[in-house]
Amino acid sequence: MEPLLELRDLDTDIAQRRGTVHALDGVSLRVMPGETLGIVGESGSGKTMTALSIMGLLPPGGQVSGGEIVFEGRDLRSLPADEVRRTRGVRMGMVFQDPLTSLNPTMRIGVQVAEPLRVHEKVGKAEARTRAVEILRRVGMPRPDKIVDNYPHELSGGMRQRVAIAMALVCSPKLLIADEPTTALDVTTQRQILELIDDLREEFSMAVILVTHDLGVIAGRADRVAVMYAGRVVETSATAALFRTPRHRYTEALLEALPEAADGERLYSIPGLPPDLSRPLTGCRFAERCRHVTDECRVTDIPLTGDAHQFACLHPVSPTDQIPSPVRVSSAPVVDAARVAGSPVLSVRNLVKNYASHGRGLRRDAGQVSAVADVSFEVAAGETFGLVGESGCGKSTLGRLAVGLERPSDGQIVLDGTDIGALSGRERRRMHREVQLMFQDSYAAMNPRMRVDSILAEPLEIQKAGDGAARRARINTLLDQVGLSRRVLERYPHEFSGGQLQRIGLARSLALQPRLIVGDEPVSALDVSIQAQVLNLMRDLQQELGLAYVFISHDLSVVDYMADRIGVMYLGKLVEVGPAREVVRAARHPYTQALIDAVPSINEVSRERIAIEGELPSALNPPTGCRFRTRCPLATSRCETEPPLAGDRHQVACHFPLRPESSAAAVQAGAVQ
Amino acid sequence: MVRYLITRVGQALIVVILVTVIAFLILHLLPGGAARATLGKDATLAQLAQFNHDMGYDKPWIQQYLMFLQRLLHGDLGYSYQLNQSVIEAITQRLPKTIVLSLLSTLLAIVVAIPLGVIQAVRRNRWADYTITSLSLLAYATPIFFMGLLMIILFSQVWPILPPEAPQGFTVAEVLADPAGLVLPTVTLAIVTVAVYSRYVRSSMVDNLNENYVRTARSKGLPEWRVVLVHTLRNGLFPIIGLLGMYLPALFSGALVVESLFNFPGMGQLFWQAALKRDYPVLLGVTLIISIATVVGSLIADLLYAAADPRVRLRGSAS
Repeated sequence: MEPLLELRDLDTDIAQRRGTVHALDGVSLRVMPGETLGIVGESGSGKTMTALSIMGLLPPGGQVSGGEIVFEGRDLRSLPADEVRRTRGVRMGMVFQDPLTSLNPTMRIGVQVAEPLRVHEKVGKAEARTRAVEILRRVGMPRPDKIVDNYPHELSGGMRQRVAIAMALVCSPKLLIADEPTTALDVTTQRQILELIDDLREEFSMAVILVTHDLGVIAGRADRVAVMYAGRVVETSATAALFRTPRHRYTEALLEALPEAADGERLYSIPGLPPDLSRPLTGCRFAERCRHVTDECRVTDIPLTGDAHQFACLHPVSPTDQIPSPVRVSSAPVVDAARVAGSPVLSVRNLVKNYASHGRGLRRDAGQVSAVADVSFEVAAGETFGLVGESGCGKSTLGRLAVGLERPSDGQIVLDGTDIGALSGRERRRMHREVQLMFQDSYAAMNPRMRVDSILAEPLEIQKAGDGAARRARINTLLDQVGLSRRVLERYPHEFSGGQLQRIGLARSLALQPRLIVGDEPVSALDVSIQAQVLNLMRDLQQELGLAYVFISHDLSVVDYMADRIGVMYLGKLVEVGPAREVVRAARHPYTQALIDAVPSINEVSRERIAIEGELPSALNPPTGCRFRTRCPLATSRCETEPPLAGDRHQVACHFPLRPESSAAAVQAGAVQ
Repeated sequence: MVRYLITRVGQALIVVILVTVIAFLILHLLPGGAARATLGKDATLAQLAQFNHDMGYDKPWIQQYLMFLQRLLHGDLGYSYQLNQSVIEAITQRLPKTIVLSLLSTLLAIVVAIPLGVIQAVRRNRWADYTITSLSLLAYATPIFFMGLLMIILFSQVWPILPPEAPQGFTVAEVLADPAGLVLPTVTLAIVTVAVYSRYVRSSMVDNLNENYVRTARSKGLPEWRVVLVHTLRNGLFPIIGLLGMYLPALFSGALVVESLFNFPGMGQLFWQAALKRDYPVLLGVTLIISIATVVGSLIADLLYAAADPRVRLRGSAS
């Protein structure tokens, strides 16, 4: 069978002020009709540039400088521009990462969706509208005949992504390119969108290129996978084969760096950073970071070899020498009783935070947004308490309340036995030493005009800790702890990579020797290999300094790896709290189970799933009783009364828990044996 | 939408009232007071006292302010002894003509500036962009009186195709009956405005062309003109709407020079002559009118915003 799309030795350059970046170097790929090809890689690997090169949508300064893009038997590079444009509009479709900015804010949904029809098929206004409604219905849009007249800002992120998909499919293309289509969405929405793309692929009998950084997303959806690194394809094969027997050393390292592969053990972290693509490179581009590198790797240009399973590596993983199964048996229990001991560092009691909704005009009493509703939990010294939930569930608000950035509407926050609500301003400031915050975007959280030495010295100065010499000594200690050299002190935040910034952020949080660090999505912006470095560092420091963490994340596998105990939040409520492994492997609340089932995993096995439909209700006037009942498959009239958080070690707030506490513990114990 | 309108008009009213307070205070901070300013330096103390009594200037300030406000509401802005007519009459004679001049030049500026800015954005960092940028900066840096003189020399003397003097008609109709005379003042006034607007259009269009939604539009295989004109232009023009509102009063300062230069009997000329003769009632009246124009200008800009951007519309109408 003829491939639908074939890339032959594609080179793409992007001219920038500093020089030309060779974003793609000799990329060859083929996509058969009706198949899903996954392109996976970290940032800067060239996965998005590959997609944009095919679509002819390279950013300013970018151009394909060599090779062929053969689509349906014709090289797009040799066709006239108008013909390429038509091909792009009719035969291909593309869905982008960020649904919030990918739609024209001032154009009605229906007009945007039907526009390709109007332009390419010269369809009349009325028919265009009918067909827009039709395609919106097929992508699962509720009330499509109303939605066509809406503007994008009136829809949620998931709904906007459905609109984007409808727009890409309206001319029934043969190839759909989805570039990180779910990265900006919550896991439950992600699952809905990925399944929609799968269904539509069959319905339209089209091929799909799924570009993503998330190995789990690829594992469950793609027929074949291409792994990219530093502008090259380093390995490509059928999906199952790639995950079972990865051959390239980069693929192997990437899989080992996944938190879900660790199961309590230390993560493998790939040292260093990807190479600078504006410089001339020779040899294997992964050589500098590879465990198995030899001198030969650095000088030899290694082509893709193999038949069905191709890879470009001189020292590949032997096909029989499989990496250990990701479900490994942990030698020691995760919760170290000696480490986790004594009275709690942080105790949150019946915490409530409401925000006044911005009422307008005469109706000022529009209601309250209930961000955190009656939440209680404790964090022991040296413990990691993971908080998970989807965006808008109140987990970040809870973190900000815990560090005192916001005042609670009601309830108590007790730090080290002291109720901080009862403290005066000065005493409260002293208490801030004990609890520090670590941010998701460390770059945004640092003053760009301050050097690293001032950034690290600032907390010490504010708290008047020690004299100049003592502060310098403290800063040097901090740098040693987070593994940065002294040279970074004279540099500015923009000179660092994401992982380095996260280390600096961690050093700043540690400056005052706190007992508790609240990390709000501290690794969410990082690539897998870098993420592993930061997670390992956080764990090492915990062992060394006896720190407690509140680890806030939407990513269950990361929380599972880091936390001793996990709290699951839904719409301002804590619905389940328990030992991490029990919560993840033997969830008691239906929402927790749905969340776990929605997380794409590299071990895609058929399992009974609890799929939840729809989207998070508004926190403005949330549902009464159990807040999850509007989306829960098990809900009955009894759920109209609020279930209390009940249980001993593994608590759940549900009238119909999936399993009793004793059985949850047994399931977990069984998994370990 | 209605609520949005009511709120904004209410805010505008408050600003106008504050403006009247300030205008009133200025009137009373005049060196020597209004009496001396009106009667001249030869007036006797008795005459001054008589004048103050007649005008109510010996009453408490609050009462005076209320009287001032009351007169204002009746359209009474005082009497100009220099012009020998009431201020309101002087203004109503000239204001329409200035409005005609301002509207014409704004219209011309928009019609020229938008395509220029769009061309610059589409061809950014190429010779067309650089040429237009250089010319804009040149036009922007040239003082308006110099630009006007240049126009007169070029088009009335070196190449005499247009009259150097604006139409002298008494009414708007008479002014419009002589379109040739309007060309030079309108163009002079428009040139600087074009320079400013086209810069704004350029930068706003450049920003918008880099937006994700434009990439989406391109991915649909739309012709480039459609991407630029249908998708980007509307979003790219939002900043211009705000600018229009702010520029309304700024246009007046241009008119001040241009009207004197071309001898056009409008508000600018009225203000200029009143300033020379220290005709305070006229100066105050004109200031008040300009202040109100500023407020109305920004109100119109906000309403245009609301009409053009669905996101703003929502903010106003959500309940």
